[in-house]
Amino acid sequence: METTVKTIRIIGALCLFLVSGWAAAANYTLWINGRTGGGAIGNYNDFSYWGPGATAAGVNKKSVNWDGRSSIASQNGKVRDALDCFCTGSNWCYIVTHSAGDLMMGYTLANYGGSARVKKNASANSAGVCGNTDGSSQTGWNIKWVRAASGAAGGSELSDVGSWTTSEPLVQDLKTSTARAMYNHNTTRNIWFYMYAGAKGTAYSGVLPGQDDEAVAYHSTGGVAGTSGGSYCNPSDWLCNDLALGTAANEGGSAKWSYHSVVFRDDAEAYNHYANGNWGGIVDVVRSAVVSSAQ
Amino acid sequence: MAIAAALALWFGRGEPEAVARTAAAPPPAGPQFFGAVTGEGGLPMPSERDERRQLLEQVQLTDHTYCSYLEGSKYPMESRPVAQNPDQVHPNQPIQEANPMRVEGGGTNNAVLLQSSQSHVYLAAGEAAAFSLRAVDRHGQTVPIVITTARAQGMTYGASRPTPQVAVPFVDDGGGADPVAGDGAYAGVLAPAEGGLAGFHGTIRTEVRYTAGGRSGFALFDVIYTPVLPAAWTGKVREAIEDGSLNFHLGLEVRQPGRYVVSGRVDDARGKPFAVATFNDVLQTGAREVKLAVFGKLLKDETPAMPLTLRDVDGYLLRENVDPDRLLLPRLQGRVYAGRTRSLEGVSEAEWQSEERSRYLAEYAKDRQAARNALGDFDPAQPVPPSACATPTGLTPPAAGMAR
Repeated sequence: METTVKTIRIIGALCLFLVSGWAAAANYTLWINGRTGGGAIGNYNDFSYWGPGATAAGVNKKSVNWDGRSSIASQNGKVRDALDCFCTGSNWCYIVTHSAGDLMMGYTLANYGGSARVKKNASANSAGVCGNTDGSSQTGWNIKWVRAASGAAGGSELSDVGSWTTSEPLVQDLKTSTARAMYNHNTTRNIWFYMYAGAKGTAYSGVLPGQDDEAVAYHSTGGVAGTSGGSYCNPSDWLCNDLALGTAANEGGSAKWSYHSVVFRDDAEAYNHYANGNWGGIVDVVRSAVVSSAQ
Repeated sequence: MAIAAALALWFGRGEPEAVARTAAAPPPAGPQFFGAVTGEGGLPMPSERDERRQLLEQVQLTDHTYCSYLEGSKYPMESRPVAQNPDQVHPNQPIQEANPMRVEGGGTNNAVLLQSSQSHVYLAAGEAAAFSLRAVDRHGQTVPIVITTARAQGMTYGASRPTPQVAVPFVDDGGGADPVAGDGAYAGVLAPAEGGLAGFHGTIRTEVRYTAGGRSGFALFDVIYTPVLPAAWTGKVREAIEDGSLNFHLGLEVRQPGRYVVSGRVDDARGKPFAVATFNDVLQTGAREVKLAVFGKLLKDETPAMPLTLRDVDGYLLRENVDPDRLLLPRLQGRVYAGRTRSLEGVSEAEWQSEERSRYLAEYAKDRQAARNALGDFDPAQPVPPSACATPTGLTPPAAGMAR
């Protein structure tokens, strides 16, 4: 009897070990916010920046909240913590960004994408930091792709003209010449940035060149390479070079950053910049794609 | 044990989302990356068609992910063809912009286009930035500008004490940064080290107010200034073929330890840009070397005219989690080193190998196979589209000196 109980306990322990080993390998979908922030930093279940937390948004979705007003550099540790938590060891990540989140993610990969990362166990404390697995490290993170909703890695002219308050360091980072000079946007570690460019913008059309979604112009949301912005439009806009789909050079010959592909161009001018607390605007377009492909 | 193992297998990769379904979003109005499935007689019901389309798109996506990574990672990130770095080739060319005149009080004056430029965004200690302005009408004719004020000030936040304002004279007299006198283009130079901003570390904003076309406008130029150099180039450069690649080693006397990110451009013997080489690693204090590599396979694939020239090297010490986030290294502008290696003897044509590459290819291959299996299971009557690339038969262990 005693032997039987002992055997059962050993088998149970082995089963727990086996189960825990299998359960550790998982895919996660990380959502990285843009300007203004809103979600509680460190709480990966707080989707208040995006919309209702119950909304489908990819497998094992996590909200990577940063304050959306401090500089990219000063907040970058929050994003690296999240990547360490969920995208190391046997875990892999799909990344989704909105607006300045694109700048944040590009900065992260260019500067830290080849650094040694200690493998983490995806179990976060209140500060959003996870524990180590076995203490070993790996080069960079495990990332399948990045989808950028209204990516602002190329900056926004609204920052150039001082439309946004100058009391936020992030606004200075978003000046087009600064954002473009901040890091090498082509250094993505061979990870694709799929760009979703909205065009339902009218209020700032005089300031934002070409098509825009009311906050960011196509040169940024479309990943156009260069040290400054430019004017890019839809095919129906005759007096303006087209933002080309995919990785193709744009009309007029300008290139996109390497590993940047325009997968959605808002020809119908139907999507603006804002999630509006309900996964709205261009975010909704990306969310639909993420639900289909982040499994 | 078998039951537990079976249970464990059900965990799979990720937990299913038990969530309330929102109303389906309207289909995006723009063109889709993956085209519609065509040419299928005897189509299934629309919902099944949608499901097949999604499965097919997943096959295409995972195949693209795998094949493009396989192709792209044949060279390490530290050594890339110039074609993959379209905006990195000439880092010291001015940043030029042309925008409708931005007027005081908001809005724009679309009758006047302001052409502006700045020589740099990031400034190392002792460097200066040149700015220029010119206004033109819609016919390209110069519109006279009157510079009202031009002042530079460090940007501070919260309780930080404001910095002094420094006047930045803009002139059209053919002197300094202004190449042609009286052409309507004004130029100014900001040299932080020579004035009240000498010790400031961070963003310095130069605000220029002017009148043109009867209206008042403004332009903003931002530079990020480093008042202290974290390291100094020794001026020594050596070239060597090592581990199958051609490497340039630049001597650096490191004063502050940390992660250094350095980029250099490599031209062929005809002056044609060939590659962008990057160093990104931690350096301790003392006499160190920064290695800028031209990967062997890149040389073998593109066979540039030899010898190569290293030019336009820039870099910084990356400061983690703070702002400003970097201390600039002295900029090495123009030719840095004229290479002497004329032969590719000793250069390897092997692809880059590393744990990172192996890890990614294994995962991407698994995703690709899973997508293909899912489509095949859903519609066994239709062949799964062929892959865009062949799967390598195996990956060799990381080569010494290049991989981690």
